[in-house]
Amino acid sequence: VISVVGLSHKSAPIEVRERFALPAERVPELLRSVVAHPAVGEALLVSTCNRVELVVAPRAGASLEAAAAACREALAALAPGAPASALYALTGGAAVRHLFGVAASLDSLVLGEPQILGQVKEAYEVAQRTGTVGSVLHRTLARAIRAAKHVRSGTAIGAGQVSVPSVAVDFARRIFGDLRGRTLLLVGSGEMAETVARSLLSSGARLLVIGRTPEKVRALAESFGGEPCAWNDLALALERADVVITSTSAPGFVVDPAHVASARKKRRGRSQFFIDLAVPRDVNPEIESLDGIFLYNVDDLSRVVAESLLTRGREAVQAQSIIDEEAKSFDRWADAEQATPLVVALRERIRGALRFELERSLRGRLRHLGAAEREALDTMLDAAVNRVLHEPTTRLRQAASVGDLDTPSFPELNSAIEHVFSLEGGRVSSDPLRSERPEREGASSVPRSGAAELEAASSDPLAVDLDAAADLSAGVSGSR
Amino acid sequence: MSALATIAFYLGVIAYSAASTLFFLELARQSVQASRSAWGPRVLAAGAVVHSVHIVVASLVLKRCPVESLHFGLSFSALVAVAAFLLLRRHANLDPMGVIVAPIALTFLVGAQFVGVDLEPEQLVSRPLLVSHVTANVLGLGLFVVAGASGLLYLLQERRLRDKRAGGVASRLPSLDALDRTTHRLLLGGFPLLTFGVVTGAIFSRQFDSFAGAALARTLFGFATWFLLAGVLVLRRLAGVRGRRAAYGTVAGVLCVLLVVLIYVVRPGGHS
Repeated sequence: VISVVGLSHKSAPIEVRERFALPAERVPELLRSVVAHPAVGEALLVSTCNRVELVVAPRAGASLEAAAAACREALAALAPGAPASALYALTGGAAVRHLFGVAASLDSLVLGEPQILGQVKEAYEVAQRTGTVGSVLHRTLARAIRAAKHVRSGTAIGAGQVSVPSVAVDFARRIFGDLRGRTLLLVGSGEMAETVARSLLSSGARLLVIGRTPEKVRALAESFGGEPCAWNDLALALERADVVITSTSAPGFVVDPAHVASARKKRRGRSQFFIDLAVPRDVNPEIESLDGIFLYNVDDLSRVVAESLLTRGREAVQAQSIIDEEAKSFDRWADAEQATPLVVALRERIRGALRFELERSLRGRLRHLGAAEREALDTMLDAAVNRVLHEPTTRLRQAASVGDLDTPSFPELNSAIEHVFSLEGGRVSSDPLRSERPEREGASSVPRSGAAELEAASSDPLAVDLDAAADLSAGVSGSR
Repeated sequence: MSALATIAFYLGVIAYSAASTLFFLELARQSVQASRSAWGPRVLAAGAVVHSVHIVVASLVLKRCPVESLHFGLSFSALVAVAAFLLLRRHANLDPMGVIVAPIALTFLVGAQFVGVDLEPEQLVSRPLLVSHVTANVLGLGLFVVAGASGLLYLLQERRLRDKRAGGVASRLPSLDALDRTTHRLLLGGFPLLTFGVVTGAIFSRQFDSFAGAALARTLFGFATWFLLAGVLVLRRLAGVRGRRAAYGTVAGVLCVLLVVLIYVVRPGGHS
């Protein structure tokens, strides 16, 4: 059904990936150039800091491999001279499984991170605005999103925090709830401490900065919009601080139990959260015995990160089985879709014949009928075609999707029906009886509208209405 | 009329049971996705409405003012607890407390059915004093039940933070700060009621022929509870004692309150 060609953090280092990075405004241009290729019918580009992947559906008559080759060419043109081995190409079921896994964050650098699903939806919306998605990618993306949601709701793949700053913020929230209006004291400086401080500040905390070098303190406070404090005012700053981050290069403890006990008394027992990121440690661990005082050092935070990653890794096994199940279900749908062109042609043939006869009668013995009667006859004709073709359609779809040793295979049925009804390659051959297929309201080769429609389709993916499928198939500009 | 009371009772039982289950499932859910809607509080609120209908209709049928009867008093205090919880949860994310409040409301609603309708000192004390005594106790009990739930969750959350454990149930519990504030507010609200209840209870006890046995135990536990909770409030005010110690004090005080109620319920001849 689809091909996926691209590169990710698993196949290429950042020096290679950055050469393939494409500004957002150039994505439509790339997509248009890809679908201009004779082998490609539909295309979208998933572009994140960890991956650049073209997802395409081939045109009618073109193979998945040909579509993949076209994608490879298009991507290679983005980064001339980049190693070809960085690009991988997946086709058919493997591509579907890969796309589902990507949407479910099983292929992400940080397993279970939630952003990727939004990025996949965004990729679809961009492609839709550009006009490069049709029914195949629409259905595939809807299934991918459904699978991703299933994984997130059915497993703990997104449980816990997987970075030191996010763990620190999580614990701070468990102590204080809302961090707005809380005071954060940064003692010393350091890359990790500043990152943690930035995370806490983004939640609305106020910042005090204290250190032994006044110039550094002032510069740091300015860069964060905080308040600089003199080193001698440490005790005073401790009284004001709800969260204290320490990261000095002092050889011994900077904060000891006497400091904290005194501050605690002045704070009338309000809780304090100490995050000691220094090695050697800045905060004497004895302060933990004080009621309402919580101390976490870099090992504590790292251990929580490791536990979260371990949990996510365990959950990934279950998540993968969900993805496999969803992909299998999608494969069945895609297989059944093979029958659609034949069903459409058969329907056209029978309806055309009946309509021809009906129109002849309406011009002759039935010419006295009024508009209402004519409309009723038209409706009856449609109902009759549906009734006659219901069972054959079901059997054709079954043959296409599951197959059965006791019954003829789909290719056999296909050629037999084509032969008996004079259909050519799933199309009605030139035929004097052929009549125009009436336009159906709402039928279109291109799905109706962006992510909202994707959501709807993902919540009811099995609602593959025969007529709608037939209309889509008839309308899609050859993307099968 | 009595059929309406019975129907309201059973609907209350169903709603409280469903709310308990929903709160539990929400707390135990594995997924990190937030649930789309807070059904637990809604079902609990629906339970409170039918519970109110039950109390009003049943008291009319039995011709008993709800605050003149331990039967209705217990049931009414559960209603107060639910109402207090539903009001407080609007100001902070306290929904997980429902996992304690909803089952307690259910227990009180059902348990009240096994308690006699008449009050023991009915013939001995003045009616206005009795009504005031029971009203204060009923309201106080309702508030203390929620305070106890809040104190328990504080201890659980605090334990998890001391263990430096992330994820799991604790990550869905309210913050320590919110729990501490909630406990304190409820104690502040319930303490004057407790004081009034203890004082009037002591007056009633002195009017009995024999100030001994269950009545004596009740009075003693009543005073012990008062001292315990007064200690929690005073120490917080004067010495800034809050957090774990205050939570332990609160939970102990609430257990004493429940013990006093239990002694009253199981007194000789006190149950139907």
